[in-house]
Amino acid sequence: MDGTMTTPRLADRRQVLMGAGLAAGAALLGAPRRARAADRTEISFASAKFFGKETIAQVVDAYNQAQGKVHVTYVELPPPSASTEVHQALVQQLARRSGTPDVFTQDVVWIAEFAGAGWALDLDQYFPAAMRGDYFPGLIAACTYQNKLTALPWFVDSGMLYYRTDLLGSAKPPETWADLVTAASGFQKDGKAKFGYLWQGKQAEVLVCDAVEVIASNGGAILGADGKSGTLDSDKAVEAIQFLYDTINKTKISPPDVLSWDEEPSRAPFTGGEAAFLRNWSYVYGIAQDPKGSSVVGKVGVAPLPHFPGGKSAACLGGYQYGVNAATKNREAAIDFLTWMSSPETQLHFARQLGIAPTRPAVFGDATLAKEQPFMVSLKDVFTGATPRPVTPKYAQVTLAIQSGVSKALVSGKVKEELADANSRIGTILGK
Amino acid sequence: MSQAIPWLLLLPAAVSLGAVSLFPILNGLWLSLHNTSLVTQENDFVGLANYGTLLGDSQFWNAWRHTIFFTLVSGVLETLIGLGMALLLYERFTGRSAVRAAMLVPWAMPTVVTSKMFGWLFDGQHGVVNWVLLHLHLIQANVNWYGSVDHALETIIIADVWKTSPFMALLLLAGLQTVPASLLEAARMDGAKSWQTFLYIRLPLLWTTLLIAGLFRALDAFRVFDLVYVLTGGGPADSTETLSTLSYKTLFSTLQFGYGSTLSTAMFLTEAAIAAGFAMFIWRQLRHPA
Repeated sequence: MDGTMTTPRLADRRQVLMGAGLAAGAALLGAPRRARAADRTEISFASAKFFGKETIAQVVDAYNQAQGKVHVTYVELPPPSASTEVHQALVQQLARRSGTPDVFTQDVVWIAEFAGAGWALDLDQYFPAAMRGDYFPGLIAACTYQNKLTALPWFVDSGMLYYRTDLLGSAKPPETWADLVTAASGFQKDGKAKFGYLWQGKQAEVLVCDAVEVIASNGGAILGADGKSGTLDSDKAVEAIQFLYDTINKTKISPPDVLSWDEEPSRAPFTGGEAAFLRNWSYVYGIAQDPKGSSVVGKVGVAPLPHFPGGKSAACLGGYQYGVNAATKNREAAIDFLTWMSSPETQLHFARQLGIAPTRPAVFGDATLAKEQPFMVSLKDVFTGATPRPVTPKYAQVTLAIQSGVSKALVSGKVKEELADANSRIGTILGK
Repeated sequence: MSQAIPWLLLLPAAVSLGAVSLFPILNGLWLSLHNTSLVTQENDFVGLANYGTLLGDSQFWNAWRHTIFFTLVSGVLETLIGLGMALLLYERFTGRSAVRAAMLVPWAMPTVVTSKMFGWLFDGQHGVVNWVLLHLHLIQANVNWYGSVDHALETIIIADVWKTSPFMALLLLAGLQTVPASLLEAARMDGAKSWQTFLYIRLPLLWTTLLIAGLFRALDAFRVFDLVYVLTGGGPADSTETLSTLSYKTLFSTLQFGYGSTLSTAMFLTEAAIAAGFAMFIWRQLRHPA
């Protein structure tokens, strides 16, 4: 701490608090380091494994030391790369309705499923509308199922447009897809970039993200507002997917290889200096700025993804969110822990120590964060346009139908027919 | 009492086999008659409804065809290449034991590692395979191995052939060593050329081994999962979806245990049919050796 700051910073305050707690503990010489379980409410917290300079276990420990009423036991689930296993572990626990884990974290696409099954506690009364205004609106939308808040935002990530500042020069990053095509093919023609625009067309979850982004940026959607029927066959969706098809076959700003690429294969040519634009998540920035593996250090900028005329930029929402087990026997303790975990102070701590982005726009204004993680702070605009993937309890089935349908449309070029086909399959799934 | 003793002694084996082998199959069959889903929390008996859905499920038939195609093509290629390797390794030459050991490396490697490796080798832009083919002027432009419906499945087959041919070679080598040396010697003294020795002595005596190895390989290939899962995830446009990846998605990603079990049962039945086909030939071979 440099001590020259005049305004108290969030992190400082928390550390002072923690310091005071530790001092008080030390004063009771000979007493156990922590209060014993007997006089504290025991709850459990299950989360996929994330880590940076610190682990989640250490953050949970900080909570245990910061107060004396609740003791949280952290249950570590597999990392988010094994999200099928994380999902399975949570479903098995929650379906048992035994009350463990009391609090958990969930991928943003499971929220509706858990809420629909009645496994997630309705948080409306604890986090009234006034408090929800402190989070990015797209995140609150993703955490809301049938007008009830059933999850609380933890951290956010989303799709974004990476561009080469050295190629773009003083020009602004493209705001519409048409601008992107013009700029990208210009760089290709001048021999400045082998590839104009890279994205992810592999038949996998990431394809749904790329699809959500183009469709929403055209004012379209994959599901109707009630979540009970598909709208993947709408003109706006067809136009958007047609655009993706054209990047390979007509405007040729993307190589056909994108059809088998997910995040990493599409990232490599960009950080290798072969591409002008790339759609990807926030992790790419760190790699692009690392001289060990990147040939574009200091030449990379990030902007919100382009949109169609009359549409708005949309970024597919990722990240994990908190939930409370509806069967918990320790509701008050769970809410206390949740409130602490989602507080601005803890979010700042997560951002600084684990490198995961806050879900409260206000935290982005913190001076320490601006100094330590300038890139994360610059993403505030991107996250503002964050758009949830289709919200339905049957997401796991719906996403497979979207992946298959969009992949077929992109391969065959029969965009309208394939999307209509996928849409009727989605209808069957939702109608059951 | 004395009659019961053999049965009593067999009991532990019967119980353990029943518990780990018979029970899961029966339980899977039973589950396939339910609409069990962890997500919707349904668990009702629905009779043959799942099988009705299955027959009309284009995803299933698509995966079924791919799986059969994969099994057939990779099985035949691996048998032929494995046979060639076995014949080579049977001969004496310096460094034979080193070659025999090295040959097993692809097979011993975890499939996920193989998959990643082939992912890079066949990468459409930076893969060494495209580079070599381009420089040999065998292709005009980079081939999009995994991103096109025409090449994705064949690329996976190539990876599988590379990985599993040594296994076939090993089995067939064992078979070759059972061919009596005296027969080969007699043939040589009668002036038989090496291809004649192969065709009239080795091959007929190798038939049983070939069939058993083929059976192993076919059943194993039919379950192909890791290669597809890592390399393409079933895409593009479902062109590499196999029964295992489809069942995995249905069972563990969407948690539809009922319908997922129906898929597994269909897989089991197809495998049983393949095994029965092979068993018939093996049986005939054993009763009337050529």
